[in-house]
Amino acid sequence: MIRAIPIIANQTAAAAFVALVCSFSPAAAMGQDTALSPPSSDYVSRAEYDKLKSEHEAMKQELDALKAAIQKMTAGGALAPAPGKTISEGKQVVAPAPTEAATEELRQEVQTLKMQVKETFPGTTKFLLGGYGTAGFTARSGEDPFFDAAFNAIFLFKMTDRLFFEGELEFEFEDNETTTNLEIAQISYLLNDYMTIGVGRFLNPTNFFVERQHMNWVNKLPDKPLAVYDGLLPESEMGGQLRGVIPIGPTKLEYAAFVANAPGLITESDDFSEIGTLDFDNDANTGGHVAVGGHLGFIPIPQIEIGYGIQRSKVGPRDQAVTAILQSADFNYVQDSTLFKGLINFRAQWVWSHVGDFVYDPNGEQGFGPLEFNNNRNGGYAQLSYRPTHIDNDYIKNFESVFRYDRFNQLHTPVGFDEQRWTIGLNYWVTPSAVLKLAYEFDDKNGGARDQDAFLMQAAVGF
Amino acid sequence: MKKIVVRTCKWIGLPGATIIISCVALTWLIGCATNKQSGEVAAGTTVKSGAQLWAENCVRCHNIRSPGSLSPAQWDVAMMHMRVRANLTPEEHKKILEFLKSGS
Repeated sequence: MIRAIPIIANQTAAAAFVALVCSFSPAAAMGQDTALSPPSSDYVSRAEYDKLKSEHEAMKQELDALKAAIQKMTAGGALAPAPGKTISEGKQVVAPAPTEAATEELRQEVQTLKMQVKETFPGTTKFLLGGYGTAGFTARSGEDPFFDAAFNAIFLFKMTDRLFFEGELEFEFEDNETTTNLEIAQISYLLNDYMTIGVGRFLNPTNFFVERQHMNWVNKLPDKPLAVYDGLLPESEMGGQLRGVIPIGPTKLEYAAFVANAPGLITESDDFSEIGTLDFDNDANTGGHVAVGGHLGFIPIPQIEIGYGIQRSKVGPRDQAVTAILQSADFNYVQDSTLFKGLINFRAQWVWSHVGDFVYDPNGEQGFGPLEFNNNRNGGYAQLSYRPTHIDNDYIKNFESVFRYDRFNQLHTPVGFDEQRWTIGLNYWVTPSAVLKLAYEFDDKNGGARDQDAFLMQAAVGF
Repeated sequence: MKKIVVRTCKWIGLPGATIIISCVALTWLIGCATNKQSGEVAAGTTVKSGAQLWAENCVRCHNIRSPGSLSPAQWDVAMMHMRVRANLTPEEHKKILEFLKSGS
């Protein structure tokens, strides 16, 4: 009976052992009267007790080892018991979250990749190199035919969301040598959403064609219209400008105002036709005058844009300066028409140049003076083009027909003649910014000057 | 005709400059008063998608170029250039840029 020791344990084996002991307790009480009675199967023998005890000890050790292992893993973060779960439930706990070490490794990899990507940039400034290239051929009556080529590189730098720089260099092959011209070098700063200030050398805002259309991959014909380009208005200005746009409901009002070096007045030249005209490359600002000008544009609907620009300055020697007023009016209509199954593009611009009365060659040294006159000239163009973009044929839809009329009135000036031209052209657009152009120009001059019809070809790419 | 042009030129000199300066001053005041951030839609403006604005504004001067022709970073620079050159409003600039970036 002494051997029948109740064991209280908190583990599974111990509980079974206790149950076993308790189940034999009545027999144990009866056994006290028969002390020498032989052992029966109802009692736990010493051997059985020792066996159970050893099994219990072994289980206890396994349990301790398991606890230690779990504590170690929990501390390492590899495995974490789910909330409410205990080890005694005997369920395996697998944590889905990565270890801290793995997270750190991932973080380092991302950092390395970021650095590698950043190394591919030249700096924090965002930069874009664009431009356009041209190759052409001109056969004009009375002149030797010739090939020509030009390359304009445009450098764009975005320093911040408000600060921007734009530069354009033109490389041209003329008279057996390459010439380089600085077309644009302008620093722009966005003062607010509707106003930008720009300083440097910039395209003339009063001249719509120059600012928006003169690029060879944009211009529809191989050459440029009379009077508007390289004629009565400067192509670029050296100074500062304020420009922007005011949205008025569904319409927009564009504006630009600038101050710049004034053009020079040509008072002496070997070519008499140049006398009384303006020199727009007056970068030294000879005469010390300032030109003030601006442009207003109105867009009543997205397809139409109407504009007017003016520039006013004194020109000529400081003590004999006269007033020069240059004006420009422009109209643009662009419609992607389903009715005509294509893109219709109509543009027109007219410019006026007025230079006040001036006495040229006052001493007669140049052989034509003294001669006093004011120089009033005007001219412009109207151009219509059509491209059947809605036609299914992939080749036909890339063709574009162009017609332009341009005119330059300067009969009553030293030039001595008016000129008008009718030009028909056919373009093929290889890509949206690559075009092949063919054109024929019918020229008509009065005042005894010789007409010069021309055949023109040009390939232009923009990038 | 010639006299009319000459008279018009003489007349428009100072008043023309006055009009331009007034417009600039007015715009400055509007810009400061509203203090709009880029991307906000001005009152009364018809809401158009970036694709619509891209087609409407770009084709006014040149053929529209595919969004895939430049990378998003390049479009960022090109569109700032166009914002200044083509007088795009802030919302036009933002929407067109988003459209071009999404397609590049």
